[in-house]
Order: sequence, then structure tokens, then C-alpha cells
Amino acid sequence: MADLNKLFDAILKGDNKTAAAVTKEAIAENAQPMELITKYMIPAMSEVGRRFECEEYYVPELLLSARAMKGALELLRPLLAASGAQPLARVVIGTVKGDLHDIGKNLVSSMLEGGGFEVVDLGTDVTPDKFIQAIQEHKANIVALSALLTVTMPMMKSTIEALKQASLRDRVKVMVGGAPVTREYANSIGADGYSETATGAVNLARQLVAS
Amino acid sequence: MKRDYYLQLAARGLRIPIGIDLLLHEEPDPQRTLRDGSRLGQVAEHAARRYASPLAIPLMDLTLEKEDLLRLLGYPEGESETFHFPEAPGLDLLERARDSSHAPFSVRGQAHIDSVRYIAGKTELLPVGMAIGPFSLMTKLMADPITAVATAGMGMTAEEDAGVLLAERCLALAEVAVARSLEAQIKAGAKALMICEPAANIVFLSPRQIDAGADIFERFVMQPNLRIRQLLASAAADLIFHDCGELADFMVAQFATRLDPAILSLGSSRKLWEDAVLVPKNVVLFGNLPSKKFYSDESMPVEQVEAMTLELVAKMRAANHPHILGSECDVLHVADAAASIRKKVEVMISCGV
Repeated sequence: MADLNKLFDAILKGDNKTAAAVTKEAIAENAQPMELITKYMIPAMSEVGRRFECEEYYVPELLLSARAMKGALELLRPLLAASGAQPLARVVIGTVKGDLHDIGKNLVSSMLEGGGFEVVDLGTDVTPDKFIQAIQEHKANIVALSALLTVTMPMMKSTIEALKQASLRDRVKVMVGGAPVTREYANSIGADGYSETATGAVNLARQLVAS
Repeated sequence: MKRDYYLQLAARGLRIPIGIDLLLHEEPDPQRTLRDGSRLGQVAEHAARRYASPLAIPLMDLTLEKEDLLRLLGYPEGESETFHFPEAPGLDLLERARDSSHAPFSVRGQAHIDSVRYIAGKTELLPVGMAIGPFSLMTKLMADPITAVATAGMGMTAEEDAGVLLAERCLALAEVAVARSLEAQIKAGAKALMICEPAANIVFLSPRQIDAGADIFERFVMQPNLRIRQLLASAAADLIFHDCGELADFMVAQFATRLDPAILSLGSSRKLWEDAVLVPKNVVLFGNLPSKKFYSDESMPVEQVEAMTLELVAKMRAANHPHILGSECDVLHVADAAASIRKKVEVMISCGV
């Protein structure tokens, strides 16, 4: 019988090999995928987020845990698809056009996945058209825009304008973040939400889905 | 130069921004200037003159060494910004990089070197060279350097984990590229070299792992930089070490004591007057006003720049540590905020004098 507490611990410690091994064992024993996710994996990532917030964990620990979570999730994905289970919401995320930085975006992406969201990560240097295409293709509920540079930040506004032009603005919530971005700036460009941290982004996404 | 030179600059209250990017964007065609070593050298000279600096600090273009390395290894030009090694580069590539020490640089790379040559040959200013550090270059060669280094921090070896192998090979390549760049700049006349390691910070290197005994900071940051330090020492060139990332105290102490830079330049996340106790008295601290925020009058109004300048000057005086007041990094031109940025740089240099 798989000890699922080990799955929680493995994700918490960023031990991807143990996380995968316990998940495989649980699958072989016909464990319910949603139970693994909701009782062990999401709580583990929540604890990772808590430790990150109180500076007990740093970015490397967060990414190691996210890797362990993702690895386990990949093993469960076929079973989830077969059972028709739905994610909390779909988020399209990317760093805006002209900006090649991805650390913050990757952190948010990982924490959202760990929080039960399905994430479509478009990478860096993403044009407004690519955001629009991905939102339409994946029927996204939220689009998350990241920028690290002061010179690329205005592209967030351009992307939101492009969503309006494509008549998507009412169908999708927009959240923004990145080192130079402020709440005031987010408000000024018409975003629905702003978060200063990756863990805060998960709470924000939950609020946006609920609103 | 003798250490006294830098200590005297600090003692006389020198204040300088790393401001060449502002002047570059006063050029009619900045892109053209980037390809013209003499012109680029003149811009560095003008920046030094405008800010009354005896140091001619070149453009902080941290893309040059990656571009050069990929060119040497035969990767298509123009893809440098987005290129990452998908898997660990073979030892043959490392050999090829090492064997290419006499290969020509790219046009932009050669212009950078020639700008140093211009300063050394045509002015009385101290010719300063500039290069990205090996660790920071390594992070640009991989898609996910943080996880790879953290995996090494968990105790995994290159034999056990493909990511660790990738990181080690990329670091070896990076060191070759940085050394090649520095040697060329020294040959062109650089007397001091600014090594920029902005990625050597707590985002890329977990203090938690290091506290628990992981050797990642030593292996990935200190050892390559100690070899670079040796290279500079053998050419009688001074080290200006720059790291504007978020640092733990032990990182500052290791940079200051083991790399023994003439100048240690830190980002605005540090309180320099508190760092003074970590840094030997013969190492000048440089910085560290939050110039990355100068573009925004909302988050960094000019009054705040003035207040922070005066506070920093007073507290560094109280700490009794040699200090050159400056920007936390290069002050970048932002088109919509150019006048505001210039105003804040002027205030930084002149207030309370």
C-alpha cells in the first residue's frame, strides 16, 4: 500500500524521484487521482508557498517542489482525462513581447499548477496575437502577463488593448505582475488584478475565478 | 593601479553613475555607435567627462560574451538572446571554445574592445573593461539554471542528473568565453575590469541549501571567479566586482574577502553601511542608489533620490568605510522617462555637495 504522506513529503522536499515513485505505486493500486491531488499534492504546494512567504524557502526550493509536483501530475494526467475531471480554471500565462525574462513567470506558473489550475505557458516574448490565439484555443478563464523590464511593461497595456479589440476582454480576467509593476500601474492599464508574489498570484487567481 | 588610487577617489567624495547608456541614446544612431569602437569609446569618454569621473566605465552590455561564445561554436548569429543548450554540450565544444582564443570577435564585441582601446590610447581616463561573470553567463546558456543548480545543491552529481551535467558544462564554456573577452580587453589597455555577476544571488542559489552544507556557491560562483581574479592579477589589472542581485551576507563577505576587488559594487537591496563590517577597509564599496527605479516618479520621486543620497553619504561616513556613491547598476535610458532619469542622476551627483 503506497504511503501517500510520502508524496506530500517528497513534494515539500522537492524530491521528484520519490514523488514519481509514490505516484506510480498509488496508480498501480488504483488510487483516485483527484484524491492524490487534493489531499496531498495541493496541500504540499500550499505549504511550500507558506514557507516561501515566510522566507524559510527560497526560489530554488520552490522550483524543486514544483518540478516534483509536475512530474507526479504528468503521471496522473491520463487518468484525469479519462475521468473527465476539470481543473479549477485555465490560465494562459506569458512574458510580454520584447521581454525574455522568465523566472517570475515560471514561479507563478508552477504555483498556479500547484494550486489546481491548468496552465498554458506561452513562454517569453509573447505577442498580443499569441495571447489572443491561446485564450481562444484553450478557452482560458484568466490571462497572466509578466514583465521584468520597465521598457517592456507598456506591452502589458498593449496586450490588454488587443484583447479588447478581439472582443475577449469581457471573457477573460487579466492579472499582471513583475518586478517593476505596481498595483497603481495595474489599475491604470485596466488589469483585473496584480500580485507582488507568486503565492499571492494563486490567491488572486482564485478570487478572479470566484468573482 | 595601486589600491590607494581607488581609496583616494573614495576619500575625495567621488560620485558617479554608470551612465553611458544615457549618453549612448543621445547619439543620432545608437545602434550604429554600438558597432563603431572609436565612437563607442568617445561616448564612454563623454560619460566620464559629464559625470566628472576619472574612470571610463564602458557600456554594461552583458550579452556580448554569450553572443561571442555561440558564434565560436558555430551557432547561427541572431539567435543568441533566446538560445539555450537543450542538453549538456559535449567536451568537443569545450575544446573548440578553448582553441578559438585567436578567432575574431563579432562586430559588436570588437567595438566594445576597441572602445576600451580608444580610452586607453586617446584619453587620460582610467580604461575600465566590462564582462559578464561566468556564473551569470552560465544562467543565460540554460533554460532552467535555478533547478539545475538546486539539484546540485541536493547532492546530485553530473553523473546522476542531466541538469547538473548541463550546468557544469555550461559553466565551463562560460568561463572560457569570459576569459577570452577579458584577455582581449586587457590587451586593448584595460587597467581595471568590471565583472558583473548579477545572477549570483539568493534567487539562483538557495541560502537554505548552502546553510545545510551544499557547495553550490563555492563550485558555481567562487571557484570560477577566483580563477578570473587570478587572470586579472597576472595581468596587473584590477577587479571591480559588481553584483546587483539580492545577496545573503555571506555572499558579500566572500566576494569582498576572497575575490579582493578594488571596488565592490552592490545593488540597492543592500545597506552599504551595514555591509561595511563584512568588507575589508581596502575594498571600496560602490553604489547603490536604486537607479532601476529612476524611470518612475511615482515609486522614486526626485525628492526621495535626494533624501536617499544624503542618508547614504552620512551613514557611510559614520561607518568610516571607503565609498564611492553611485548607481546600483547601469542607469538605463527609458524613452518616456529620459528627462526624469537625467534629473535624478544630477541630483544624485550634486545634492549636499
